Amino acid sequence: MKKILKNDAVQSLIASLLCIILGLLIGYIVLLFINPAGAWDAILAVLKNFLKTANHARRVKLLGATLVRTAPLLMCGLSVLFAYKVGLFNIGVAGQYVAGVCASLYAALAWHWGWLPCVLFAIVAAAALGAIVGVLKAYCNVNEVISGIMLNWISLYSTNMILSKYKEEASHYTLYLSKASPKSILPGAGLDKLLGYDKVTIAIPLAVVIAIVVYIVLNRTKFGYELRATGNNKNAAKYAGMAEKRNIILTLVIAGGLAGLGGAMLYLTDIERWSVTQTSVPGMGFNGIAATFLGGLNPIGTIFSSFFIQHITDGGPNVDTTYYCAQISDLISSIIIYLCGFVLFLKTAINRGLARSDERQAAKEKEAAQAAQAPKPEDVPATEKGGEK
Amino acid sequence: MLLLLQYTLIFASILLLVALGGCFSEHSGVINLGLEGIMVIGALGGALMMRALPATTPAIVIVLLTLLAAIVFGVAYSALLAVASINFKADQTIVGTALNLLGTAGATVLVKAINTAANPNDHSATIQYIEQKKAFIHYFGSFEFNWFMVISLVILALAWMVLYRTKFGLRLMACGEHPQAAASVGISVFKMRWSGVLISGMLGGLGGICYILAGVSQWQFEYGVAGFGFLSLAVMIFGQWKPTRIALAALLFGFFRALSNVYNGIDILAALNIPSTVYNMLPYIVSLIVLALTSKKSRAPKAEGIPYDKGMR
Amino acid sequence: MDSPYAIEMLHITKRFPGIIANDNITLQLKKGEIHALLGENGAGKSTLMSVLFGLYQAEEGIIKKDGVEVQIKDPNDANRLGIGMVHQHFKLVECFSVLDNIILGVEPTKNGFLQKKEAREKVMALSDKYGLSVNPDAIIEDITVGMQQRTEILKMLYRDNEILIFDEPTSVLTPQEIDELMQIMKNLAAEGKSILFISHKLAEIMAVADRCSVLRKGKYIGTVETRNTTMEQLSAMMVGRNVNFHVEKQPCHPGEVILDVKNMSVASKVHKKDAVKDVSFQVRAGEIVCIAGIDGNGQTELVYGLSGLEPLKSGSITLKGQDITKASIRKRSTSGMSHIPEDRHKHGLVLDYPLEYNMILQRYFEPEFTDKMGFLKRKPIREYAERLIAEYDVRSGQGPVTPARSMSGGNQQKAIIAREIDKNPDLLLAVQPTRGLDVGAIESVHKQLVAQRDAGKAVLLVSLELDEVMDVPDRILVMYEGEIVGELDPKKTTQEELGLYMAGAKRDEVKA
Repeated sequence: MKKILKNDAVQSLIASLLCIILGLLIGYIVLLFINPAGAWDAILAVLKNFLKTANHARRVKLLGATLVRTAPLLMCGLSVLFAYKVGLFNIGVAGQYVAGVCASLYAALAWHWGWLPCVLFAIVAAAALGAIVGVLKAYCNVNEVISGIMLNWISLYSTNMILSKYKEEASHYTLYLSKASPKSILPGAGLDKLLGYDKVTIAIPLAVVIAIVVYIVLNRTKFGYELRATGNNKNAAKYAGMAEKRNIILTLVIAGGLAGLGGAMLYLTDIERWSVTQTSVPGMGFNGIAATFLGGLNPIGTIFSSFFIQHITDGGPNVDTTYYCAQISDLISSIIIYLCGFVLFLKTAINRGLARSDERQAAKEKEAAQAAQAPKPEDVPATEKGGEK
Repeated sequence: MLLLLQYTLIFASILLLVALGGCFSEHSGVINLGLEGIMVIGALGGALMMRALPATTPAIVIVLLTLLAAIVFGVAYSALLAVASINFKADQTIVGTALNLLGTAGATVLVKAINTAANPNDHSATIQYIEQKKAFIHYFGSFEFNWFMVISLVILALAWMVLYRTKFGLRLMACGEHPQAAASVGISVFKMRWSGVLISGMLGGLGGICYILAGVSQWQFEYGVAGFGFLSLAVMIFGQWKPTRIALAALLFGFFRALSNVYNGIDILAALNIPSTVYNMLPYIVSLIVLALTSKKSRAPKAEGIPYDKGMR
Repeated sequence: MDSPYAIEMLHITKRFPGIIANDNITLQLKKGEIHALLGENGAGKSTLMSVLFGLYQAEEGIIKKDGVEVQIKDPNDANRLGIGMVHQHFKLVECFSVLDNIILGVEPTKNGFLQKKEAREKVMALSDKYGLSVNPDAIIEDITVGMQQRTEILKMLYRDNEILIFDEPTSVLTPQEIDELMQIMKNLAAEGKSILFISHKLAEIMAVADRCSVLRKGKYIGTVETRNTTMEQLSAMMVGRNVNFHVEKQPCHPGEVILDVKNMSVASKVHKKDAVKDVSFQVRAGEIVCIAGIDGNGQTELVYGLSGLEPLKSGSITLKGQDITKASIRKRSTSGMSHIPEDRHKHGLVLDYPLEYNMILQRYFEPEFTDKMGFLKRKPIREYAERLIAEYDVRSGQGPVTPARSMSGGNQQKAIIAREIDKNPDLLLAVQPTRGLDVGAIESVHKQLVAQRDAGKAVLLVSLELDEVMDVPDRILVMYEGEIVGELDPKKTTQEELGLYMAGAKRDEVKA
């Protein structure tokens, strides 16, 4: 039992589950305040999401819809995670995601590119945005959080400006890819038929594969060794001759690329269209932060946590709107992020408890051994005291 | 031109209030990235108060009660940052970010619930305060004077005095620079950091209500405060954590923000025919450039962002 | 109360997870005496003082003031009881003025506003009375370490403290400043103040203290009157056996020039002046050269310049005939330079990495540990770590996978030394390699340095410890305010002469 508890992954899992439970509980209390009558149903609706409907085919289709949005969320989560391992908080993920959306849609609508070049273009554009943050951090000592936020807004407004040429006449949404540039849509590769939903594409398996690749790069390669060393102790990394500035920039370029790929993964399915009059940065990037921390800062954990976050986000609109609004799922995920701040404290508490119980046990064993041997009198006080707690 | 001045002053007031809030928090040693969320919640408090007060209430009462509500909400909300980062040594970046998301989500949920409860067909997150807003406004000719322009000046003077002329200020800054030194002379680092964060909650709340009173007379809470909390942090960094320099920085940033509201009325700018989005982006671009030029020799409090641990020496 | 003791700490026990820092320790400080507390690094002196000062709470034992039991829960309680402390690492706010630092915590106010005028008068009066000259308006980061220490002492006097604790106060001072401090301490005792003087330097204790209590590995060994004892006795009490402080070594046979530094200057991060000014010297194969000097005279920056952590402002560095002035840190390392850093936690280790990953920190990119695809070769890494652990006797809980953070300081240092020596360098930069280690570990480090020398390597040792400076190297270069002011032969010089150079009172023209 104790051995299991000492395992870092197990501790992360416990901490994450605790965050979820507490987050839901607090969310439930908020709902109770707003209207006690429907609170339980509302929480259930959020948690059930696609399970709410009884119709099997529709259920699978709704699962598909959640999965379609999980893929970009996972990419945003991986983007945050990758940067965090190097000690950088990539809040600019939201803007990098938008840049990915912008580049992929522009390539599709203006140039009618195939899906692969569209995706690559999105990665490049978002990576460039990440590079700006990286260069500012490495060479001008600008806090990456502040520059990231500023670029989020710049990215949002630029995207609105760039895509406004390709919007429908009657609305402020961009054109349907299916009409304007069908070859830019990501291929379904049979998955669409499997889930009975034409928006399901290769993006979903691709995102999972990338999560695994990120895991391998971080934990098994020389590059990952350098990045984590830099994140843990950048002075030691410098002392060991690692190129700190290059690694910071490279990390943010990769983080940006991941987020940009996420943007392309969503918008090249045609499931959503961009509104060129949006005035707030889409929540996808910020939810990615939640996914990362809830996933225990582990790429594989992030796969599951992003699904969970997307699951409750999609469950939000299912609540009874006579009492509540869809944003309660945003509320719950932001509470979960807040609680993730306490994870470190929780882990330290677990470890301290374990160390204490180990000490107690060691003391008991020692005492038992001593009792058996009948020790010399002068040895007793010191050793006995060593064990008490 | 008068309009440009008016908007510059009101935006500068917001930035000044919030940046001073950040300044207090950081001087105590806590990075407050949650200012954006605190602004939203402060705005929520003020807006709810204005909604509750009948339009016939005397102007001075409206002003005072609204300010009070914004302060109370801001302070209460900032306590979430304080408890996490000071008592539980949580990562201040994560908690601050969570507070920003929570602020917008929470305010939206709450306002929608209130609106829907009042009128089952109303699913908006909007609060109106057309009549009540008039209490804050005074017209000198065509110049729309807002009492916040004075309030922020008063607070600037107070902030300067508190930081540099009182015992509290000296102790606060000691906690942000060298908490172990402060603790060794018997100063409670926890208490001072709590004070710093709560003051930032107070000023952030005031900045929030000021933000939604600038220009509009109703507010949709889904929109948050459009990065103003972060712009204020940029103002604070540009102001090198010193109140007077922060005030100048706020004027500069306020000016660029004001341009997007009034460029149409200025012939030269209108003639340039630049899309309005460019003006919208301007404050963010300017702050990036300014940060790139000034961050290298930053005089940030040395211990900011590092949780204080009694055992560490 | 007519107790002869100003303060008594009786049967104090303080535990930390996994370690008993103080085990049933008793310390009695007489009124008006200078009482030394002697012990090695890690003997529990600092913990005991932290208990007295209210920074830690003891699990067992009581504290009495003037014979009455008292509770000290935080520094405020200590302050109220008249206990003041000069900490080893000064507790000064660097961007505040001297005056602000002195009044911090006991500020005189009127209606909440600071009244600095009267505070200034009191500080100036105290400064005159005890000969503690300071400029009250100077900012801490601009003044000398000596003046910073005087500020700390004034902090205690300003609070009218009766019991003054000095925690390792001499480690940052020049020999002349140390003499001054000793005189100040005697003056204070003559005025009726009771002084606790924490040190591991026997000579200072013999010179200034009336009595001396000794701690070893968290335990109380005994208290002696200094006039009835000898340094040898104290030393035996401190380490538990008679120690041979002298390092055994054969005469050296310097070979070719390995390191050649010409006119090197390094800019300072803090001041406008250069930290290293126009320094030139050489280190040859088969010799140990020691850079001696008081802390903060440019040694750190000199090392940063040599290792590439900081760029040079001017000058050149040649390693084995190859110009490395502008070379990257990595290039210097692969060209044959090893570096045992001054601060093992800041530079030497990635504390959250396992020991095996720390062992390859300088070599992880070599084909031995990384394959062509960029993947780490896990088996060779494990084997390499196991070999170093065995060869250099690095002790850790779980072998190669032990997190570096959970290892003891001595074993962390051994791991770093193993890594740097095993790289088979031509030049070994060893910066304060024995800092914070106990006597046994110090001996083993010294032996390894000498072994490297005998194997024909060039060793550049940077040390602040006079004993080490006198014993280990074959040549001594003294640094003062960023310059090399003298070259001495350790066999011919004395500690007194060395001290004069270190204080800048004496200097030669040294040309490489």
